[in-house]
Amino acid sequence: MVRRHHEVRRSTAGLAGALAVTLLLTGCAAERRTPATTGGAAPGVTATTVKVGGVLTKTSASGYSTKDAEIGARARFGRANAEGGVHGRTIEFVGAEDDGQDAAKGDAAARKLVQKDQVFALVPVHAPNFGGAAFLEQQGVPWFGWATGPQWCGTRTGFGYNGCLAPRKGAGSQTWWGRQMADLLGGARGKSVYVQTTDSSGSKYGGTTISQSFAAAGFELAGVNSGLPAAAPPPDWLPYVNKIMTSDGGEPPDVVVSVIAGTKFNVGLYAALKRAGYRGVLTDATSYDAAVLKDPASAQALEGVVAAPMFEPFESTAPEIAAFKADVQKVAPGATLTQHMAIGYWAADIFLDLLAKTGKDLTRERFLATANSGYSYENAGFGRIRFPQDHTEPNGCGALVKLEGGAFTVAKSLKCFDNVPLK
Amino acid sequence: MITGYLLSGLVTGAVFAVMGAGLTLSYAATGVFNFAHGAVGFMAALLFYQCDRAGLPPWLSALLAVGLFAPALGYVLHRAMFRGLARAGETAQIVATIGLTIALPALGLLAVDLLGLPPADATALPRGVGPHPAVALDVLGVRLDTDQLITFALSALTAAGLWAFLRHTPYGLRMRASVDRRRLATLRGVDVDATSALAWMLGSGLAGLAGVLAVPVIGLDATAYTVLLFASATAAVFGRLRSVPWTFAAGLGLGVVQNLVAGYTDFLEQVTGLRTAVPVILLFAGLVLLNRSRERVAGSTAEDAPPPDHLAGVPPWRRRLPWALALAALLAFTAVGPEYYVGVAANGLVLALIFCSFVVVTGIGGMVNLAQASFAAMAALTCGWAYASGLPFFAAILLGVLAACAVGLLVALPALRLGGRVLTLATLALALLADQVLFQVDAFSNGTIGWPLPALSLGFADTSDPRVRVVLLLALVGLAGLLVRNLERSASGRAILAVRSSPAAAATSGLSAPRAKILLFVLASGIAGLGGVLFAVSKESITATDLPAFSGFVWLAVVVLQGVRRVGGAVLGGLVAAAMPELLAAWGLSAHVGAILFGAGGMVLARHPDGVLAQFAESRHRRRTRRRTRDQETEPAAAPPPRDAADRPSPSASPTLDRGQPSSHLDRGRSSSALDRGRSSSALDRGRPSPVLDRGEPVLFRLEDVMAGYADCTVLRGVELSVRPGEVVALLGANGAGKSTACAVAAGDLPVAAGRVLLDGQDVTAWPAHRRARAGVLLAPEGRGVFPGLTVEENLRTWLDDPAPAYERMPQLAARRAVLAGELSGGEQQLLTLAPALVRPPRVLIADEPSLGLAPLVVRQVFEVFAELRERGVALLLVEEKATEALAVADRVAFMRLGRITWAGPRSEVDADRLTAAYLGVS
Repeated sequence: MVRRHHEVRRSTAGLAGALAVTLLLTGCAAERRTPATTGGAAPGVTATTVKVGGVLTKTSASGYSTKDAEIGARARFGRANAEGGVHGRTIEFVGAEDDGQDAAKGDAAARKLVQKDQVFALVPVHAPNFGGAAFLEQQGVPWFGWATGPQWCGTRTGFGYNGCLAPRKGAGSQTWWGRQMADLLGGARGKSVYVQTTDSSGSKYGGTTISQSFAAAGFELAGVNSGLPAAAPPPDWLPYVNKIMTSDGGEPPDVVVSVIAGTKFNVGLYAALKRAGYRGVLTDATSYDAAVLKDPASAQALEGVVAAPMFEPFESTAPEIAAFKADVQKVAPGATLTQHMAIGYWAADIFLDLLAKTGKDLTRERFLATANSGYSYENAGFGRIRFPQDHTEPNGCGALVKLEGGAFTVAKSLKCFDNVPLK
Repeated sequence: MITGYLLSGLVTGAVFAVMGAGLTLSYAATGVFNFAHGAVGFMAALLFYQCDRAGLPPWLSALLAVGLFAPALGYVLHRAMFRGLARAGETAQIVATIGLTIALPALGLLAVDLLGLPPADATALPRGVGPHPAVALDVLGVRLDTDQLITFALSALTAAGLWAFLRHTPYGLRMRASVDRRRLATLRGVDVDATSALAWMLGSGLAGLAGVLAVPVIGLDATAYTVLLFASATAAVFGRLRSVPWTFAAGLGLGVVQNLVAGYTDFLEQVTGLRTAVPVILLFAGLVLLNRSRERVAGSTAEDAPPPDHLAGVPPWRRRLPWALALAALLAFTAVGPEYYVGVAANGLVLALIFCSFVVVTGIGGMVNLAQASFAAMAALTCGWAYASGLPFFAAILLGVLAACAVGLLVALPALRLGGRVLTLATLALALLADQVLFQVDAFSNGTIGWPLPALSLGFADTSDPRVRVVLLLALVGLAGLLVRNLERSASGRAILAVRSSPAAAATSGLSAPRAKILLFVLASGIAGLGGVLFAVSKESITATDLPAFSGFVWLAVVVLQGVRRVGGAVLGGLVAAAMPELLAAWGLSAHVGAILFGAGGMVLARHPDGVLAQFAESRHRRRTRRRTRDQETEPAAAPPPRDAADRPSPSASPTLDRGQPSSHLDRGRSSSALDRGRSSSALDRGRPSPVLDRGEPVLFRLEDVMAGYADCTVLRGVELSVRPGEVVALLGANGAGKSTACAVAAGDLPVAAGRVLLDGQDVTAWPAHRRARAGVLLAPEGRGVFPGLTVEENLRTWLDDPAPAYERMPQLAARRAVLAGELSGGEQQLLTLAPALVRPPRVLIADEPSLGLAPLVVRQVFEVFAELRERGVALLLVEEKATEALAVADRVAFMRLGRITWAGPRSEVDADRLTAAYLGVS
């Protein structure tokens, strides 16, 4: 135990100095470097295969899970491989990583797929907090999925199957939900709509775009409320329900739109509204889930709700949907169809179409060049997609389904509408 | 409308109230604040859901989950973890229960996965206990459903049941007695361990009830249960973590406040998250206003003594060798390893840099900060914002680190007033506030998209190459290591350590605890901030959700598991945290397993609070000592081995202490008792009487060559004392002679290092205090032996089944039977202490300073009691500093000095000379 005397007397000035040195070391070298480029042979591509993998929120603390998207993608790749692949190459699908709804884990997952597994592209990416966007954009790796967050938008590598759903101000914003609803209700004239979101910036943003959609269709906006706690449903809905029931000049509104992801939230809100005597239309984007109907209380709360999927409903008679169902049956016999399956399926479908259009000579540069120079593809399953346009705005297509007597029925088939600039 | 909000708010509050009551109950009864209380609720809810899906009727499922499973879980946790934690330092307590918060839900979800049960994710829609779907009813003009009514009814029932249990059952009385004065309760024969077990079972049961009641509303979402915990922690804080009724009331009030805020504060809508954060803001306010720590200052924990440095005897090069080898291996791996894995290592080093801030704030400062992730995020977002606003990158980084420092300063200011757990809760509130409000400000965090950041260029290379990152980060971690080292050795570092081990002593030595604390907090925040900025730089972007508050919990568990007092632990922790997901993926294990492993670290911590690195050093030390002992045995002729410096528990503190005393003391303290006994007569030159007794009555209670002390300080150095029935022995001695320690050893309150304690010839050395008390050894401790928070009647009931005879003997107590004992006068309190002994005389009564601070009239009364007890055959041991009164009743007298009995003999042989000799130490 040797302890030198002078060390003991060192004061805090020395500590501050050390911290300053640390900062200098970090900061002096600050400079922007050139983005990395990928050249030569495309990773993940052989003469007979193309390797892809996805990132999903399979598990999360809140219980939200998009794991079914893996089934959807596998089903679509299965069909492509059965048909002999694309340009002689079959798709080698390595499955999907789980990001646990954690941005940092999503980044790590993207790095693993690109650097360790050497995939050509990420399909499907379906994770609300996906954190790998900056890395993929910098590496020039294409990624396909559901572009619910702004990290997708404005990139050259991120391809939402129905475009960018988080456009910036001034970019196009969807009107299909309001217009489809107006069609369903026989016109929007004189009808009021109330939009409920949670107290988080993401949900508030959704409230803005959706209010605009209904306003564009001619509805009268009775109110937008973002008072709901974001972390967990409130044990008591009374204050929120009171606001809704008196929002239209003391009367309840004609339509209530819920911009809340989470069945417990929506079931709670709808049950409380019905208890308070609400008789109007209830609509949201997430309730199109047959699994929910197994629970009698949820089925009762959701009865009559108009859900708004952004793809052709499973109850549709379109041949594309029949093919989708058959493909899923092969991969996961007896599975209940979910939105996440459809999202994985259609994201894979667009990737395959681009693969075909890029041609036999496949590199990431050629693939991105094909995708980002006037690409357009239509399919009854999800409407249409155009790039680079849809890197910054949604494709503007959507359908409505209604829960009647414990079963979903198609209220309005998928249809595409023009976007309006986001205010 | 407002009646509606009030009424239905009470229903909401009922869940907070039930959960908060459990939190307060278990904290007050055991001293461990259970951050995993919400997780217990989640587990009960999970079981309820699974039972329900398995087809059991809901009432039965609820009964199983709440009445059986939750208490059983509480009991298991008590045995496996909480029991050990009650005596561990505060840091270990906090970290261990936070580990449990991570591990418990993961364990449940893993079990669900492995057993193939219905998944507990968002598709699970659990029902309530009542009819399903719930039926709507009108109550006083407010529309409620059956689930809400059941919630309210059950919590009202629980409140009534808890009240009845605590007020009107012996168990409740024992529990409240342990809460009031834990040590005294053991001395009254209360088995505090059993009481703690009961408290944990009850607390877990309440958590389970709240969980099952809440599950139809919030679903099976572990995060939502953590949120529920924060709300109920707010209620518990308003109950000052002591009062179950106040906690209950505060919980109900919180529900009402939430409703009113939701109903009437639309003007707050502009600030995203502010209204959701109302419970957190209340929590913060409650902590600062109500919970000023009485015992501790400046967030220090006096229990956190540094662990012995088992490597102190090892030469410096040998200490550093493993680290140098590891560093060389890491650099070699960086040079040739695959890019992906080098990236993983770089991520680990980023975490290591952030973890260094834990070393500063927790390892050196002894404070637990749960907001470290928020500091990192704060710095990274500030840096991103500044860079996007056009500042040069260097300035942006500097600004980010400064922002973290500034927030650290803001936290440190209230920290001056708060201690331990309260500080931890305050940092937790701050972390949640940052997550829910500050990071939701779009202008600051750029919405959900966050800020892009460039890579750092070093001229010849830039940080987009993971190899460069590894080298840069190693340099920075090395600098942080130097900083920590200098901090420990600097004047301020010494000041901080001094404040930590004894705030009062430090203050009287002129050391400024607040300044030291502020410095530490700010430094730690700066390091965490720098780590956060580098996290963003290596990711080349930062969003508000990249570093959620909850990751701060996991970090703390990881770093403390590796050892929080050294930078080595932080580095190892960072690498482990980064490698764990890789390993799990490689072995095909569920992500839950990682959470369980980190969380299980908490259980390890309960026994080894200084982490695995210290564990290695200790086991190595033990091996070496064993080998050395073996070597000595083979060479019996060799000279007594020199005491190795490494043997000394605390090299900086003990030499001065040891040097000041005769070497024989040192040897006695360390050698075996058998050796000692042989040597004692020759070693002692003072006039010690032969322990052989010559009076007719057999000895009832006896201390036999007892050695005992506190941690590394031996107090009793071979004490011989015996008391016969109907005899008063006065133990006299100056302040600091070891009298109170002798009392504590006699009552079983303090374990002996050597020697025996005999009651009626039976060896009771191993008996815990409560068992000795039940066998008739009663200690009236120094100060007043009453429970100030219990009424006079309840105080008597802790020793008597029926207090009526006590009132007959002492009518002045009868008049005040419903008064809290704390409100009695000092004399009345002393009488209350002794009254039970008069009614139900113990076999041995040990009274420690019974006349301290009493009026002469009362002193006379007290000694009359002793005289009466002697007549009734009680063996009395009176410990007094002031000799006069004690000598008046004593049959025999023993003088004590420096942990030894220097003289013992009949009262008649005591004269003024002898007294002077005993007190002044001259013979």
